[in-house]
Amino acid sequence: MTDRLTYEELASLMKKGAGLTVDHREMENRSDTAFDEFGLDSLGLLGIVGVLENRHGRPLPADADRCKTPREFLDLVNNSLMTGA
Amino acid sequence: MSKARQPRQTVVTGIGVVAPNGTTTEAFWKRTQEGMSVLDRVTREGCEELPLHVAGEVRGFDPVSLIEERYLVQTDRFTHFAMAAADMALDDARLGRADYEDAPYSVGVVTAAGSGGGEFGQRELQRLWGQGSKYVGPYQSIAWFYAASTGQISIRGGFKGPCAVVASDEAGGLDALAHADRSVRRGTDAVVVGAAEAPLAPYSVVCQLGYRDLSAAEEPTRAYRPFTSDACGFVPAEGGAMFVVEEETAARERGARVRAEIAGHAATFTTAMRWEESREGLAHAIEGALREAGCAPEEIDVVFADALGVPEADRAEALALADALGAHGRRVPVTAPKTGIGRAYCGAPVLDAAAAVLAMENGLIPPTPNVFEVCHDLDVVMGRARPAELRTALVLSRGLMGSNAAMVLRRPA
Repeated sequence: MTDRLTYEELASLMKKGAGLTVDHREMENRSDTAFDEFGLDSLGLLGIVGVLENRHGRPLPADADRCKTPREFLDLVNNSLMTGA
Repeated sequence: MSKARQPRQTVVTGIGVVAPNGTTTEAFWKRTQEGMSVLDRVTREGCEELPLHVAGEVRGFDPVSLIEERYLVQTDRFTHFAMAAADMALDDARLGRADYEDAPYSVGVVTAAGSGGGEFGQRELQRLWGQGSKYVGPYQSIAWFYAASTGQISIRGGFKGPCAVVASDEAGGLDALAHADRSVRRGTDAVVVGAAEAPLAPYSVVCQLGYRDLSAAEEPTRAYRPFTSDACGFVPAEGGAMFVVEEETAARERGARVRAEIAGHAATFTTAMRWEESREGLAHAIEGALREAGCAPEEIDVVFADALGVPEADRAEALALADALGAHGRRVPVTAPKTGIGRAYCGAPVLDAAAAVLAMENGLIPPTPNVFEVCHDLDVVMGRARPAELRTALVLSRGLMGSNAAMVLRRPA
């Protein structure tokens, strides 16, 4: 599905929203590494959740901004988009 | 041990300046001692139609070349100024990460702010009303806030020592230095301290339009003329200064250049916009600062005046100097270099403190630009800088909401 969030797209959201330059392949290889270690704080993740919600015109699960790692976040976002929740 | 009981003297070892007349300490001092005025018509986008015509804008400041993107996106211009000035102050003090990374709790941060992050806040509020609450970025929650500069300097530098924010009006700039002095005397090795403001976003300017004492003049050279019969209010400005202050013995041991001693400070509070009453408040602040410094009035070699540019306020300041310094109040050279750059709120008195240290080092009292004829019994330095042997400087500040503060700075022995 074109709607699926990819590591590449996540890296671009991190750049735009939080000013972080993260290589998306590296993030994919280390997808269980905490967001902290990529420099993303909780407000940064909250901002990315907001952008995705606006883009898709519907809310993500309430705990989306509490995900600790890129993999956890991608799984949650993509499951939510698939089920149309 | 007896060592712990010895009084700890706080000294300035680093200065960093971002001001309308220069975005480095060197450029600031060059134009300050030349007496060059950079007050100009407001050019900030969105301010064109507002009834504020003259301001001291910081031009040619490029935050992207100075500050990492991750800090830029979550901070306002006032914090960009503070971070850049803090970097310069740390460089000047030659205080690098290697000096404190084993003892991060030994270095603190104190800033003062009066205006907050207006530019960032305006952008996000426009999104709120233009697109809806879901379009407001989460960094709005921290970027506008008075505490932002302290927090971001602390995070960016890894300073875990005592951190504070002083919110006490323009005079808060001096109160922040006093707060840092107390931290050092209580045992902190070093404090990154100062204030920077960016109050020229349209939203911020609109907030100031209610100030009766804001100059409405259209001609830059006539807009801010304290102590003259043409005084017609003050011109706002952006910018500020940051310092590194340290305990003297430790500073000397690590080979730092001691640039000045923070000798004394006192603050008082009178009533907002009631300038006559500031006479008493300012006089008490001066007396308190002299007392703490163990300094006789005659020892003051130069006064950096608050110089609000409102007739009653100028009179109150002249009388306060006479009240607190006696006959010396009419003889001591008084200067107000801020007439060439405007008043950057909390940034104003710390820019004066920076200028005072530089004046003492250079033996030169910078002049008061745009001021030519004084109508008070004061020896105001006008025209060109005046050479003088300067050991002790008095810096004064008042806020529009009633805060008054005085600080005595000394050349190191």
